[in-house]
Amino acid sequence: MSDPTDAPGIEEAVLVVDGDIISRHAIADYLRHCGYAVVEAASTDEAMTALAEASLGIDVILCDVAAIGAQSAFDLAQWVRNNRPGLEVRLAGNVDIAVRTAADLCETGPHLRRPYEPQAVMDYIKQLRAARERA
Amino acid sequence: MVPAESPRVLVVEDEFLIRILVADHLRDAGFTVIEAFNADEAIAILTAGVAIDLVFTDVRMPGAVDGIALLEFVKRTRPDVPVLITSGHLEPARAYAGGATLFLPNPCDPDMITRALRSALETAP
Repeated sequence: MSDPTDAPGIEEAVLVVDGDIISRHAIADYLRHCGYAVVEAASTDEAMTALAEASLGIDVILCDVAAIGAQSAFDLAQWVRNNRPGLEVRLAGNVDIAVRTAADLCETGPHLRRPYEPQAVMDYIKQLRAARERA
Repeated sequence: MVPAESPRVLVVEDEFLIRILVADHLRDAGFTVIEAFNADEAIAILTAGVAIDLVFTDVRMPGAVDGIALLEFVKRTRPDVPVLITSGHLEPARAYAGGATLFLPNPCDPDMITRALRSALETAP
């Protein structure tokens, strides 16, 4: 069991970078229910703008490897390593990994338990994608 | 997913810092906010069937369609959902002709946006 004193404060902020609004919305919503402040970026360009805004206080970046923008997700991660060495970057190769990573963040997050199971997030994303396909 | 108990507003704005400012303000005011970078994303989330009570959108944005096309899409597919248009360029009459509930000049104070959204909800069918 984690030490509650190690838990991040309520203001801990996650930057979610994903060009797909369905997964970005679902994952951001989940992390907000976990108690994180969440900043949503639709591209690596928006992510860089967020990182330039000190007031946003980004602590962790959760980035889809296929994120669109002038820089690739790997370029963004490299930039962070070089310029913000204390900032954690989690790259996700697909939506399942992104959801699992969000669940991991929830485990150590401001709340001591998950608001709902990560499988519910995956099911929600699949349901929305199926509806979009049918339309 | 945990059902949202607060009004759900879709905020559509390509200017990142404006979008997160408005979204944060609305969350603080008790709204559940879904953020879209442009009208294409907004149509994607609406097509996916996400429950939305209100749409607040800019007009000029990158992508295949603009805010006026989004307004037309909402009026065609979810006619009961109020759409508030903001723009620094568009003639308000153009927004109202397309069925907009309210036009707000851009830039617009976040408190004014909050009040306008609440008012639109109260008068929605």
